[in-house]
Amino acid sequence: MAAADPIRLDTYREVITPEGVVLQLPAAGAMPRAVAWVIDLAVRLTVLLLMGIPLGLLGGVGQGIYAVGMFLLFWAYPIVLEASWNGQTVGKRALGLRVVSADGAPVGWLAAVIRNLLRAVDMLPVGYAAGLVASLIDPHGRRLGDMVAGTLVVHVPPRAEHRAAPLNAVYAPPLPLRPDEQGAVVAFGERAPRLTPARQIELADIAAPLTQAQGQPGVLRLYGMANWLLGRR
Amino acid sequence: MRQEQFVARHQAEWQAFEHWLQVRGDARKARGERNASAVADEEIPARYRRLCQQLALARRRGYSPSLTDHLQLLMQQGHNLLYRTPAPRWRRAARFLLADFPRLVRSEPGCMWAALLLFALPLVGMFVLLQYRPELIHSLMEPGQIAQMEQMYDPADPRHKLGRASGGDWQMFGHYIMNNISIGLRTFASGLLAGVGAILVLIFNGVVIGAVFGHLQQIGYGDPLWRFVAGHAPFELTAIVLCGGAGLHLGLNLIAPGRRRRIDALVVAGRKGARICLGAAAMLLVAAFIEAFWSSTQSIPAGIKYGVSAALWTLVLAWLWRGGRGGGDAA
Repeated sequence: MAAADPIRLDTYREVITPEGVVLQLPAAGAMPRAVAWVIDLAVRLTVLLLMGIPLGLLGGVGQGIYAVGMFLLFWAYPIVLEASWNGQTVGKRALGLRVVSADGAPVGWLAAVIRNLLRAVDMLPVGYAAGLVASLIDPHGRRLGDMVAGTLVVHVPPRAEHRAAPLNAVYAPPLPLRPDEQGAVVAFGERAPRLTPARQIELADIAAPLTQAQGQPGVLRLYGMANWLLGRR
Repeated sequence: MRQEQFVARHQAEWQAFEHWLQVRGDARKARGERNASAVADEEIPARYRRLCQQLALARRRGYSPSLTDHLQLLMQQGHNLLYRTPAPRWRRAARFLLADFPRLVRSEPGCMWAALLLFALPLVGMFVLLQYRPELIHSLMEPGQIAQMEQMYDPADPRHKLGRASGGDWQMFGHYIMNNISIGLRTFASGLLAGVGAILVLIFNGVVIGAVFGHLQQIGYGDPLWRFVAGHAPFELTAIVLCGGAGLHLGLNLIAPGRRRRIDALVVAGRKGARICLGAAAMLLVAAFIEAFWSSTQSIPAGIKYGVSAALWTLVLAWLWRGGRGGGDAA
């Protein structure tokens, strides 16, 4: 399923959907996941504390309910939230993370159960050390529970709104470009208006062999090529 | 085709799809209200496939990342919706407990029998040993622990004649749930350490339970002890063995994956083990209920207690042995 591309530097995991399209899953590393876990811990402790105050007044019955609540918060909280709330716990939502199945589909109940039961192993010997080592070795940052459950924690991509490049001069590239090079030039045309002039020049200078110009003229030629590639003649 | 023409041609379609996702994206909410979008629900799979094709085209033709990212985002939202998790059903849960769970247990006889031996041999061995060498208990447990345990089952203590107050029952119910189910689930998970964790937990529990029972029997506190444990033992002891067996199965697949990649073997074993664990957790829940509300009432005559215990043992073993056999809906 996974089409691994060895020269890619990004931690994308690429899977092919049944429709034959490559889906890019940006795997999340240990750090944001640890922060999400701390947020979840704080949420759980707060709920426990708030629950404990009224239940403490109820005596034995209250203590019994408290223990059941503790059990549910410890074991069921991540399972139920991940399986029924779009693969996110409170902490994961705050950090923009999401648990997905290794093939990019939403995580199922059984997979959520497995990855959270096996937390008990990832926590060994102390403070998620086993999970940390596993996620540093694994190319997609999975801890042991993720590997057995066949799941992956990914970044939720920010909303990408497509903006057209500004209209200006049209300039045909002096030599034919490969599709990925065309994409890079058009991306420059679309993104450069939001960059500072200095940064625009810096980027355009990288493409000096193509534009055969340095500084501002290079930027204008790149804009022109982007327009030409977009089909504006 | 150039990018601008491509966008001009398909933009309306993408916007309609995005609007539908916003209006109808939440399946639970969408069930109750009319479709306010321009696209009918049944058209969505076809539209989604068209979008996938357009995304593939856009990538192939080297259109800008900002366009392909936008299309991929739309596609991913559609993907999440079309391939979402089905809602859990009560009927399926009942069928799992009655038929699928015993079948799962029987499908791994080797691991289950091994777990039983790893648990029962230390238990029985320790029990018998302590009848002949009672002083050995002091090399296993602290004096404080021994005193506490003796005080809990002292037949001369008048409190045991009356049973606990009902608040105490509830308190113990919560305590048993937190403790026992957590132990069961951890026993399974620790099997991932090549099975060593599960083996250690099984042996350790066997030794400790055998030591406690052996010691109390030897000093003549047997009657309150047996009356207390008889009721919930069928569920609790069996569930611990089953969790251990599931853990052994997981560890075995790590060591000897057979003709599969190790990770694939683990995924398969993990699915099976987690389902066994869910069943065992349900058994431990029943055990906690019995332990808190039935086992603790010492006023019930011993005959009834042992009768109920025998009935429950028969029920549990018959369930595991026959459950899910011969049903018409064999999966």
